[in-house]
Amino acid sequence: MHVLMMTLYAAIAATVLATVDPRTDTTPERLRHGLKMFGAFLGIGLLLSWILFPIPW
Amino acid sequence: MQSRDDLSDDLAAHFRARVAAEPELKAYPLPRRTLAVIAAWLVPGAGHLVLGKVGRAALFFIAIVGAFTLGLALHGRLFWPAADSPDALSHFDLISVLWFFSQIGAGLCYLVPYVAGWGTNPQPWASTYEYGNTFMFLAGLLNYLVVHDAFDIGAGRKR
Repeated sequence: MHVLMMTLYAAIAATVLATVDPRTDTTPERLRHGLKMFGAFLGIGLLLSWILFPIPW
Repeated sequence: MQSRDDLSDDLAAHFRARVAAEPELKAYPLPRRTLAVIAAWLVPGAGHLVLGKVGRAALFFIAIVGAFTLGLALHGRLFWPAADSPDALSHFDLISVLWFFSQIGAGLCYLVPYVAGWGTNPQPWASTYEYGNTFMFLAGLLNYLVVHDAFDIGAGRKR
């Protein structure tokens, strides 16, 4: 459930952020930027969960 | 072999041709710009629709209205600035003001359910309560960016 919610959250945030980013001008640029951002959100989320997992509190 | 000067001349000509081929950025008339910003806040994506950016309008509408509706469906709560205890520094509970600010960014997505009474009864015992709140905060905050984007396009700063 948590990973599903995180994926949905990352997809929505990356879609909107990549579209409003003034550094991207064309649809292929926005698509590439959005995919990179989506991957970064998921990757960093998983990395943080892996690092925080052993902490008991 | 081309000299350095020849190369820079070529590059400049190429650059000039590329700039000339692209349509110039133009500001929209003030009433249309104003309407776009107000519409963008009320209905996510409507500002871009006013400015003729249909694809982006549909994308924003689906993403933001979808996120807010998902939040409500997951038993998220609509926040309203709550009064704090009389001896507190502020008249309002500041965290509820922040939550309210982030949710009200979604415009009618917030106002319609609030008036209808959906999401006004907190259900913190629901296992998806925090997920729901988070999606509603996300929707409102993203819509602030979309409003700014509509403003930038209207002012001729962005395509």
